[in-house]
Amino acid sequence: MWKIHEGSARHWMIRLLGVAVLAFVVVWIPTQMSSSRIGQVTDAFILMIAAMSLNLVLGFTGQISIGHSAFFGVGGYTAAILIKDHGWSPGYTFYVAAVVAFVVGCVVALPALRIRGIYLALVTLAVAVLFPTLVRWKKLAWLTEGSMGIDSVRYEDVPVWPILGELKGREGRAVFMFWLGLIIVIVTYLVCRGIVKSRFGRALVAIRDNETAAAVMGVNLTTTKVLVFGVSAALCALAGVLSTLKSGVITPDGQYVTLLGSIVFLLVMIVGGAGTLWGPIVGGLVYVLLDNTTRDIGTNDSGILGTLFGWADQSPATLILGLVLVIIMFAAPYGLVGLAKRLSRKVVVVIPRPAGTAKPS
Amino acid sequence: MSLLEVRQLTAGYGPVEVLHGIDLDVEQGEMVVILGANGAGKTTTMRAVSGMIPRSGSVMFDGVDITKTNAEKLVGMGIAHVPQGRGTFPDLTVLDNLRVGAYSRSADISGDIERWFEVFPRLAERRDQRAGSLSGGEQQMLAIARALMSHPKLLLCDEPSLGLAPLITQEVFEVLKKLNNDEGLSVLLVEQNANLALKVAKRVYLLETGSVVASGPAAEIASDDAIRKAYLGA
Amino acid sequence: MERFFQYLFDGLSLGSIYALLALGLVVVFRGTGHLNFAQGEMAMICTFVVWQFNDWGIPLVVSIILGMIVGFALGAGVEATIIRGVAKKSQAGVFVVSIALFLGLNSLAAMVWGNLPPEQLPGLFPDEPDDFQRIFGAVWRYEYIGVLAVALLLMGLLFLLFAKTKFGLAMRAVASNPESARLAGIPTGIVLASSWGIAGAMGALSGTLWGGIVGELNAGLMFTVFIYASAAATLGGFDSPGGAVVAGLAIGVGEQFLAGYFPGWIGQEMKLSAALLTIFVVLLIKPSGLFGSTKVERV
Repeated sequence: MWKIHEGSARHWMIRLLGVAVLAFVVVWIPTQMSSSRIGQVTDAFILMIAAMSLNLVLGFTGQISIGHSAFFGVGGYTAAILIKDHGWSPGYTFYVAAVVAFVVGCVVALPALRIRGIYLALVTLAVAVLFPTLVRWKKLAWLTEGSMGIDSVRYEDVPVWPILGELKGREGRAVFMFWLGLIIVIVTYLVCRGIVKSRFGRALVAIRDNETAAAVMGVNLTTTKVLVFGVSAALCALAGVLSTLKSGVITPDGQYVTLLGSIVFLLVMIVGGAGTLWGPIVGGLVYVLLDNTTRDIGTNDSGILGTLFGWADQSPATLILGLVLVIIMFAAPYGLVGLAKRLSRKVVVVIPRPAGTAKPS
Repeated sequence: MSLLEVRQLTAGYGPVEVLHGIDLDVEQGEMVVILGANGAGKTTTMRAVSGMIPRSGSVMFDGVDITKTNAEKLVGMGIAHVPQGRGTFPDLTVLDNLRVGAYSRSADISGDIERWFEVFPRLAERRDQRAGSLSGGEQQMLAIARALMSHPKLLLCDEPSLGLAPLITQEVFEVLKKLNNDEGLSVLLVEQNANLALKVAKRVYLLETGSVVASGPAAEIASDDAIRKAYLGA
Repeated sequence: MERFFQYLFDGLSLGSIYALLALGLVVVFRGTGHLNFAQGEMAMICTFVVWQFNDWGIPLVVSIILGMIVGFALGAGVEATIIRGVAKKSQAGVFVVSIALFLGLNSLAAMVWGNLPPEQLPGLFPDEPDDFQRIFGAVWRYEYIGVLAVALLLMGLLFLLFAKTKFGLAMRAVASNPESARLAGIPTGIVLASSWGIAGAMGALSGTLWGGIVGELNAGLMFTVFIYASAAATLGGFDSPGGAVVAGLAIGVGEQFLAGYFPGWIGQEMKLSAALLTIFVVLLIKPSGLFGSTKVERV
């Protein structure tokens, strides 16, 4: 086992190496991969953002939400309506979507002040079920175009970035979406990190661990819970905007707009590691990877899997996904990041600075 | 041969070992008390004996090796455990609590129920009330009665005085003493209130950070000045 | 008045199906403290099993009993093999596993029965167009009467099991205080597995009844019913079996009234949302359901 001190030269070397590898991968993907692969990575970005936003509420504050698909939808619809009906430039829709979702999130958070645990789970589930029905409601069709959804959301002002080649056509758009997604992932990560490491973040964790004690320590439960729900909803809406920009379509049956979306966000977050900053990022990558590798199994009758599942009426993709999830939960009950931390501790131990010597922030 | 014979018992929670090799005996018809400070491992000892947590070493009961037997089976063999902080079923009625106590037996239990209602008349009055609505003392008595419904040879009683007023504690101890004297019930008791425990118990084990540091007849321990000073606060 | 009785009766009948599934959720929650997300999908797959047995020539009543046995085995097996192992390590893990089950069972049903022509599940009761009785001017279809009767009968049996049998006593004891239940000699493992099993069997019945009304089977059969059932469990109080039944019936009746009396604003497509919003309001006043105890705050 290798022991290093926090803040020592060696520690910085490891950190630097990590950043370098990450930077290499990030540049390598859009320049070397096919545009459909790049698109999949962007899908992973969308999931990462949504899962990070959920993590803020569930992982760090302990308030369950099965309603984040609604915030995702709010974001997606806001962008679609502004761009298509009002001719907005896509860039500004992020801000508006975030503000709208923040307000919606704060409203949804109000019951959380009184309702807890499994009852809160069901209330938020109701929000997830309500959103698509509201969008489909004939009385709102003037705004949302009903069950058809809003399609062909077009925009032309894709900027030109000379270093990366011309951003034109399908390939160009894929690369553009990749960079845009990456920027929002980084922004979301920084917001989450900033919150978690701040005084406000400590209040969140205090609420998660013991609500009564937190209140006694002077944490204002009402404001804290409502604010964190609002911020989380706003971040989740960014994922929705990104998704609309990427596909140009949003419908009430959309992949992440229904209850299923909330469930996927939860899976991504827990599989990656709830209550860790990197968990949702790892989870998003793993989920998209799993989803894409299992999708084609059994549809072509070759290989072992083909013979194994050739009889099936439909692809066993989801079944296999389910099995893998069960295996992951057995092997890594605290998520993949939790597992990685445990394993890496056997190789390298970072000794934290003694208390009181940390640089003032 | 003792009724309960514990040798080199080690146990703990997850990777943390709490008991580091404990030897302990309870003879037939004897009342034994385990004393010690908070965190000494008293409750862990009880839980290890009754099979609630994984353990190693050897535990013999009535001549049978029960080291590998799980908690559910031990009741049928004659060990009843009243856990710390009232082992009642708060959502069940007093009567149902007693019925659960007799779960391991298939015989007719109505006679037993009536008998414990005679011993604990306050429970009889509240037979159809939810256990959760009883007072602390009543719940403790119910927990003991519930344990006795299984016709144990050995009763493990974990801090029956916890959270009770002194007068109620007295009452609970008198019942235990009476059961021990009149019925010959063997009792292993964990207690914080050392002075009270020393009055009723025959022998004492003194536990400190997971090991037995002293043991002997209650009278001897009670009169040992060094021990009195260190552990009994007097 | 005629409309009133029509909505009331239809609502009770549909509500009894929600109540059955909700009762399954409550039984599981009381035993192990988990929300079983796969409850609806377990019911759905058992309904296909019933159909399969029936398709092989086994009489429908026997098929249903076999389906309920399969449901019991499925529920108990899942608890004993997967849920318990994960629950020891992490509660969030149980959530993921029940979602994984949801996805897996759904996919399995589509794999096995996906490409068959729309499955027709014969109703358990006569459902020709003229099989009805007029009471208070409302149409009481025999099929709906039968569903209500069967559901109420099974719920009655279940309450007898809870209240009158030694096993029911053990189930209540485990729900109330698992540790002391073990100390009293109750084999908690068997009791917990049985809770899931009972939930599975009740799911099988609710699925079959619902499938009979819908007439067509597919992998999405129980999705909406599951939402209604979880709403019923929430409204009634997650640890109260009686509450689940009352709430299930109330939701069934309530949605019929909402959809029937406000066809323009609510109608068929908004009745679920309207019902959910109503529950939302009730929860704000009573945060742990109508009949639930306040201690239930874990997930």
